Amino acid sequence: MSTKTTSAKPGGPGAILGSLATFYERRWLIKYLAQRQVARSYQGSYLGLVWALLSPLLMVAMLTVIFSNVLGIRVREVTGDSALNFGLYLYCGLIPFLAYSQALNQGVNIIRRNSDLVQGVVFPLEILPLTTVLTSLIQNVFGVVAVSLVLAGLEQRFNWTIVLLPLVMVVQLVFTLGLAYLMAVAGTYIPDIRETLKAVVRATFFITPILWPTGRVPEQYSFLVDYNPLAALVEAYRDLILGGQLPDAWGMAYFSIVALVLFVVGFVVFNRAKHNFADLL
Amino acid sequence: MRPALSLHGVSKRYRIFQNGRDRLKETLSFGRKRYSHDFWALKDVSLEVEPGTTLGILGRNGAGKSTLLSIASGILPPSEGTVEVNGRLIALFALGAGFNSEFTGRENIMLNGLILGIERQEILDRFDDIAEFADIGEFIDQPIKTYSSGMRSKLGFAVAVNVKPDILILDETLAVGDAVYKQVALQKMYELRDSGTTILFVSHSTRTVEQFCNKAILLDKGRLLATGETGEVAERYQELVQEAQKKGSKRLGGRDPVDSLAHDGEAQALEKVTKSELQMAHPGDDGTGETKIRSVEVLDERLLPAKKVAPDSTVTVRVQLEYLEAVKDSEVVVTLRNKAGLEVFSASTARDGVPLKEMEKGERVTVDFAFKVPLHHGPYNVTAAARAGDEDTYLDVADAAAAFRITRPQDREPFEGIVHLPTEIRVHDAPEVERQGRSA
Repeated sequence: MSTKTTSAKPGGPGAILGSLATFYERRWLIKYLAQRQVARSYQGSYLGLVWALLSPLLMVAMLTVIFSNVLGIRVREVTGDSALNFGLYLYCGLIPFLAYSQALNQGVNIIRRNSDLVQGVVFPLEILPLTTVLTSLIQNVFGVVAVSLVLAGLEQRFNWTIVLLPLVMVVQLVFTLGLAYLMAVAGTYIPDIRETLKAVVRATFFITPILWPTGRVPEQYSFLVDYNPLAALVEAYRDLILGGQLPDAWGMAYFSIVALVLFVVGFVVFNRAKHNFADLL
Repeated sequence: MRPALSLHGVSKRYRIFQNGRDRLKETLSFGRKRYSHDFWALKDVSLEVEPGTTLGILGRNGAGKSTLLSIASGILPPSEGTVEVNGRLIALFALGAGFNSEFTGRENIMLNGLILGIERQEILDRFDDIAEFADIGEFIDQPIKTYSSGMRSKLGFAVAVNVKPDILILDETLAVGDAVYKQVALQKMYELRDSGTTILFVSHSTRTVEQFCNKAILLDKGRLLATGETGEVAERYQELVQEAQKKGSKRLGGRDPVDSLAHDGEAQALEKVTKSELQMAHPGDDGTGETKIRSVEVLDERLLPAKKVAPDSTVTVRVQLEYLEAVKDSEVVVTLRNKAGLEVFSASTARDGVPLKEMEKGERVTVDFAFKVPLHHGPYNVTAAARAGDEDTYLDVADAAAAFRITRPQDREPFEGIVHLPTEIRVHDAPEVERQGRSA
């Protein structure tokens, strides 16, 4: 028989480790909730899950037509100069960014949106941001598959370095999860954060090398590439998928440390704050 | 044996802010300044609940009953004190929490079970029980957006009670579903109680608490006023409600004529609340209260109390009554309902030719109803009522006061249908039947 004690004091280090263990105990629930969120996006359409692959493909096509064909922008040095040049460059950067913005914008609302779980049942709330982040990463994977298909089909190229991408995605998961925990707490305490966050996410889109190539950054703005963890992530995606080369080791090390620190801080803050959520709603 | 649930010095404080800005200011001052005042929803409540107890929680509106349940179930953290829970606790506040309307009933059973913290394998094992209890037929494979609200709560209730909770927490004031399903639910509660589940039960009605619970507590303004046997605690509760009503009427009587206009609405509301609470607290909440049904028992053929009886055996329902007032003409009625809430059979002293004599005040009487049960196997419950001679006035009603189960027949296949009517089967040649028909 299980014994559970709740008391007035929020959990110490032991409670936080216990909270990590619930991830394993509740793995089926996490799976179901993530599945539910992915399925919800495509529910009711005739093609169903096919859309998960089809919509990134359409996106690649659109970006290619506009940037490579209409505007004629070339940034990648590819032999044969494919028409896909800038479209793929842009989309490769968009994949991790979309996962990041989705996880944040949903994470900030997650406690309020699931108020029935917060107030109605005893529920390990730390699972909720995790399912959101997992969902965004699942869609991220579909995007990667779409890009690889286009690359293989139209440029007849396949970079084996792509097998290392899951490692990058693990760090990405830790990074996004840390942010999602912080946002979930902030959004529950201060509702105004939700609108602010949209603006902040939009701003990070422009200060991250997604639209513009890193090589063209003026010297005095190089910190946008050097100290922006998202820049390291975006560059790693491009190197592994498009470039067929290993990402910059320092960049990845920096990104990993930032990710770990964010996760620890976010998880601890969330665990201390979660006891108050039911009172705040 | 360790208590199933223990609370030590539990208090719950709410900070009341004038507006949202004050809340923000206080949060940002990190405890240096106060912009709020405290409201104690619970104050220093200590309680031990032994395994197998059915604990009724009584109290007026706003006494802290729901807060106590939320804290006991771990949804709200206490501001002070500790709560210890031994075993699987399921709280029935939000039936079907996390239900997704796009998913089928089948998928939602899994989802809801996982949310309640039950192992995937266990849900798979109990799936058939849950589906049978929910009793929604083919709808189980339809998305639950096609369900009626009653079907949704049935499904949620089915999951919650079929996963063998050790401790069950329920708030009667939030009960949903149609009358038939309420019967089914009530019967399941009796089954769980009798199988040793610890139950915490909030109700406004002392009648239900007295029938269903073996212990009770009384809360008032967040404090624990009384703990003990249901009878004593229920009496304290009635006193409390009557006191409140007196106060209320005093306020109405001695009011200042100028004030009266402004406070009229408030006073009326107060009167309304205390009146309806009084009705609920009064023992005669389903009847006039001139008679009180003391107990309803189901006995087997040896006249011993029984939870299970064999099919076709003779069952005796024993009703004990006490007449609180002198009653000239009265009758006792028992009604048998099956698990679908269907009224299978009823018997009455007056209708069945055994009229009761004129009763003195304080007189006690025992009525036995013995009948054969050629019925389908499964759970049944008995409602007993005392009625006045005009058949319209109920003196007292004990709804689903006893439950029992008819076992599956050992020596033959179970028949289909509700009742096994005595049947004689003969086989004839077709012409013979025709001839008989013509001559008749």
